Amino acid sequence: MQESQRALSAVAPASVPNVTGVRVQPGPIRLAVIDTDSGFVRVLAKRVGEMGWQHRVFTAPPRAEDLLSMRLHALIVDLALLGSSGWEFLEQVCDSVPGLGVIVCTGSSSVAQRVRGLRIGADDWITKPCHPQEVIARVEAVVRRRKRSTPGTTEDAPLLAGELEIRADQFQAFVGGQSIDLTRREFELLHLLAKARGRVLERDEIYQHVWGYAMVHGDRSVDVFVRKVRQKVERFSPGWTYIHTHFGIGYRFEPEAPEDEPPESPVDPLDDASEEVESSA
Amino acid sequence: MSMLRASSTSDGLLALFEESGRNVERTGSLLRDLLDDFPERSSLARDILICEQEGDRITHDIIHAMSTNGSKLDQRDAYELARALDDVVDYAEETADSLELYGVEAPMQQAQELAAVLADASVSVAEALAHLRAGEDVSTQLIEIHRLENEGDRISREAIASLFKSGTDPMVVIRWKDIFESLEQAIDACETVAHVIEGMQLKRR
Repeated sequence: MQESQRALSAVAPASVPNVTGVRVQPGPIRLAVIDTDSGFVRVLAKRVGEMGWQHRVFTAPPRAEDLLSMRLHALIVDLALLGSSGWEFLEQVCDSVPGLGVIVCTGSSSVAQRVRGLRIGADDWITKPCHPQEVIARVEAVVRRRKRSTPGTTEDAPLLAGELEIRADQFQAFVGGQSIDLTRREFELLHLLAKARGRVLERDEIYQHVWGYAMVHGDRSVDVFVRKVRQKVERFSPGWTYIHTHFGIGYRFEPEAPEDEPPESPVDPLDDASEEVESSA
Repeated sequence: MSMLRASSTSDGLLALFEESGRNVERTGSLLRDLLDDFPERSSLARDILICEQEGDRITHDIIHAMSTNGSKLDQRDAYELARALDDVVDYAEETADSLELYGVEAPMQQAQELAAVLADASVSVAEALAHLRAGEDVSTQLIEIHRLENEGDRISREAIASLFKSGTDPMVVIRWKDIFESLEQAIDACETVAHVIEGMQLKRR
């Protein structure tokens, strides 16, 4: 697989103005482009680079799991490059990389082909020749729509679980308003588990989401970080159990009160938000 | 297998080798504990560093004893043995140091397994050197060291192969390839100790 990577500044401005002056979503958009049209790719890469986006260019299709591990917002793919396997690739990516905005940007095509691509799961279809600025605008639109339509719009809403308040907007968890002093990675782990409340997440899945790479067999990172999170939570919320071990599989988040204490109040005003997130996990 | 009988002139040297063996055993045990409870017991790396310094001191004493006292031990064998024992501790210390140097956050199961193999091999090394000094048979210990070296080789090969699966963080590959290799080299050095002791015994037949 040939790949050129032009990951630019990892830290982008909180909000990036596009050419029309409209401010798009905060944080850098992570984009992958599968295309061999060097002229088009060069201009596109230069422009998205100037906007602070992180991007990778592939001249051959990467595996779907590799795309997943890159935690991309959007993918631009020229189906003509993939030949007869293009549809299969498109279907695989749309099915296995949830939340990824997929934009087909290819040469002339029939109505039937465009309809097929969009029905498979592509979010947009652009016909070449096209202006890179239009492609960028369409990527922004797709990412914006994805963000709105994902139940994770409540991603920034606090999650309440037992005595814990998990605040994505502050990358921190609190007990009684007091920070439990999680590191960024510890927070991401706790947040991931809490969003999937009640569901067992496998170690590989946790690692892929939190570390952004495939987990090497035998890597104990997930176990070590679960241990660290448990210790910090226990210090501030003694007696409660939040993270449950499923031996040989992974971990499940479910707050359990100490036996002599009443269970979590079902009428907590923030419960709705956490339930909404839970159902989306 | 015939036994090496310690003469009065070589006993001082054999006592130093026995001391070196105990130092190897302690180092192996510390490294196993460090990896088993990493990162909670990261401070054990400091104790391993002290063992490494102690190993250097013993090696120096061995070389000094070789040059000043007459001994029935072949000087080349004694030097090879001292160097191999020093290597075990040096590679173990390098492993412990790499954990901090590379900013390792959590251990790998294969590294824990390799450290357990090294700890067991270190026990056999210490026993073999104690038996050597006492003029007792060491064949059981030498066979065990060879077995453990084979076991370590297998674990190390599988561990390194697992790093090169697609999608792995390149930083993980860089860190752990080095750490697996230094662990394997420490185990290999135990086998070198066994080879030298075996050679010394053959010469005494």
